[in-house]
Amino acid sequence: MDPTTAMYVAQGIHGLAYGMVLFLVASGLTMIFGMMGILNLAHASFFMLSAYFCYQFLSITGNFWAALLLAPVATAFFGVLLERFLLRKIHAFGHVGELILTVGVSLVILAGVKIFWGTESLPVKVPPILHGLVTIKGLDYPIYRLFVIGLALVVLAIMALLLYKTRLGKIVRAGVSDADMVNALGINMPLVFMFVFGVGTWLAGVAGVAIAPILTVFPGLADQMGMDAFIVVVTGGFGSLKGAFIVSLIFGELSAYGVQFFSQLAPVLMFLFMAIVLIIKPMGLFGERE
Amino acid sequence: MNILETKGLYHDFSKLQVLFDVNLQVKEGERHAVIGPNGAGKTTLFNVITGTYHPSRGQVFFKGKEVTGARPHEMTRLGMGRSFQITSTFGRLTAFQNIRLAILSKKGIRFQFFRKVDSMQAITEETDQVLKRINLDRERNIPASMLSYGKHRALEISLALATDPDLVMLDEPTAGMSKDETHYAVQLIRRLTEGKTLVIIEHDMDVVFSLADRITVLHYGQILATGSPFEIRENQAVKDAYLGALEV
Amino acid sequence: MTNKIMKWVSWSVFLAFLAVYPKLFGIYYTNVFVTFAIFALYAVTLNLLLGYTGLLSFGHAMFFGAGGYGTALVLTHMKGVSLSMALMTGFLSAVGLALILCPIMVRVSGTAFAMLHLAFGQLMYVLSLKLRSITGGEDGIGGFPIPSFTIPGIVFVNMKAPENFYYFAIAVLGASIWMLWFFTKTPFGSIQVGVRDNAMRIDYLGFKVPQTKAVVYIVAGGFAGVAGSISAMFHNLVSADGALHILNSFVPVMMTMIGGIGSFFGPIWGAAIFQVIEELTSRYTQRVELVVGLILILVIMFTPMGFVGILRSIKQKWTTYKIRRKS
Repeated sequence: MDPTTAMYVAQGIHGLAYGMVLFLVASGLTMIFGMMGILNLAHASFFMLSAYFCYQFLSITGNFWAALLLAPVATAFFGVLLERFLLRKIHAFGHVGELILTVGVSLVILAGVKIFWGTESLPVKVPPILHGLVTIKGLDYPIYRLFVIGLALVVLAIMALLLYKTRLGKIVRAGVSDADMVNALGINMPLVFMFVFGVGTWLAGVAGVAIAPILTVFPGLADQMGMDAFIVVVTGGFGSLKGAFIVSLIFGELSAYGVQFFSQLAPVLMFLFMAIVLIIKPMGLFGERE
Repeated sequence: MNILETKGLYHDFSKLQVLFDVNLQVKEGERHAVIGPNGAGKTTLFNVITGTYHPSRGQVFFKGKEVTGARPHEMTRLGMGRSFQITSTFGRLTAFQNIRLAILSKKGIRFQFFRKVDSMQAITEETDQVLKRINLDRERNIPASMLSYGKHRALEISLALATDPDLVMLDEPTAGMSKDETHYAVQLIRRLTEGKTLVIIEHDMDVVFSLADRITVLHYGQILATGSPFEIRENQAVKDAYLGALEV
Repeated sequence: MTNKIMKWVSWSVFLAFLAVYPKLFGIYYTNVFVTFAIFALYAVTLNLLLGYTGLLSFGHAMFFGAGGYGTALVLTHMKGVSLSMALMTGFLSAVGLALILCPIMVRVSGTAFAMLHLAFGQLMYVLSLKLRSITGGEDGIGGFPIPSFTIPGIVFVNMKAPENFYYFAIAVLGASIWMLWFFTKTPFGSIQVGVRDNAMRIDYLGFKVPQTKAVVYIVAGGFAGVAGSISAMFHNLVSADGALHILNSFVPVMMTMIGGIGSFFGPIWGAAIFQVIEELTSRYTQRVELVVGLILILVIMFTPMGFVGILRSIKQKWTTYKIRRKS
């Protein structure tokens, strides 16, 4: 392979890794929206919280794998608390209340993170086995990025199994397309809601751990990822997992190659893509409902 | 002269045929009832005529002019008023404010930014007259969503009438009313639609036969028969399809 | 009649208070008051969409920013621009932006409306960071000349003096708020509320719904531009982080919620409360986000109708108490 092709391939892998992480965050966001009609504006804050948990577990245990396992679970626990004790109580007040409540929660998380961990960037070291480069066909790839892609695929596979092979998954899928109907069938929806919210924040948590070694951990993490994830959900269509997946990958590659070709205007590309989609289809590529 | 006429009207929702070659004729000044079993396409017919939907095929004529696919506000401005089967008022506004919106529309006051609406004496007076006529003057300042069911329905019907239309289309005005409320509502409709053309969808046969001059029977999206109440009562096809089913 | 006299008296007292305010409280609190007034107008324009038309926007900052950048650009690049022209440019820039966006925005409502605004707001933010040659990037546009208020031969007021600027800002912002209040009282204002409650019925009553929404949208955007324009001249600076950042879109939403969504004056109360909170917290603690976040959560959980809602329920309790005592 000549150097130019090699560079393209390397950028492509970078983009794929970012797209996968983006999808982990966006899938949780769009799932919660599709199921409960709640647009969780604190979603990215949970993503950031998990990165901090990862840092904390790592500095206590010294074991990255333990952190990878524990941090998302701890994050999901906080997500469940939010659903159970705050969101559920204001459901009657409508979407405006939910949107504003989650903004409040995101501000509290941001403040909490600054109080406990300060404002500087905290490094997260990966175990030696994920360090360095691997050479395939004379091309060097950073192992960690490949690991991230693999991790996302594993999580995806678990999610697919859960959604398509279990009774709970059936309920969730039905709920995403028509929550009222499922409720009418006499299923304990509050419990299912809590579960979906937990899984959604867990997905954001996994993404948070995955990104921590690449970007380091700092309070601005939520803003950056949050905006990208929102654009994905808006463009892909609210509540559409398929849309979120496709758009995540497009955006991952768009940002990777965009930096290569128009470094200055790379962030604008995503917005431009979104604006064009929305002008043609106001509900997003695969979105149907308000 | 026909004030309203449809020619070969078709409508379908994603392959489901709801209206099938409907040719409806409503003469000026008559009270025309549209009846038919549930799912016959009565409300869809209203929606296609008044502009909620664009018909898949066919034409609609109003006052001799073609109005196929005109939007609801255009139909209202041409002189049509419509009420809904499911009460559809302005819930957080008072009864007075509800009716006042209709009066503003009737007077053509739309993009007026330079006067306070409360200081428009003529509008206030006319609105209060309407409220009095429909016996809602005591509920003047109560939000629509807090009115009793009967009063709320009365408000719904008067919203359709307060713009002073030539053709009034009422979609099951007595739906969900008690016997007394129904009786009162029929009186009200009779009184308020004096000198106007009325098209009414109704399930209550007592109401239909006491109110209507002519009846159209809709069955599976097609017109089965049109005629005087007597003719409809005697029509064998109607008996089989509809009245028979009810009596059994 | 006494009612009318009371009204005149309270208005005169209020205006007199505004007139002597800078003398009483000094320069620091004069500037605090201008900031409050800017946000009061800004929040009122948002409530025109949220409370009166039922449209939640998470991108209102783009109109605030359009007003600010419009004014700053014209003052930077053109010589001899008068104060009113600078203000007008800000207003018209925001109106122009609203005109461009409204064909898309009047077609949607609910979450889609909120998210489209979030998205376009961010697009503006990123563009203002990247189009450095026009907007100055992160640094923004600053140091432009602030014209004096002149009526040739009669008046000359230097706007560099904070006290003079205070009177100018209060006059413009107060007049804008009054105009918007009047706007909600017109026949059009009542049609607007009808769209919020039941857009379909408004259509069936013979009004054009998209056009009605468009007018509200343009008015709300334009006056948010006025707030942004005054803000730019007040700070002698407009920047991406100051004007177009997403937090600046959240702020008026929070003010409206804290003050009370169901009333015209709610957002103004909200802006005042917000200002007080910010003053107190920034003095005693660094954790402004924490306080704001907690307040938002508490307001939504316990008083969803905001401060005006609390006032109303107190008033109600007081009247029932009085009635009970009489009988």
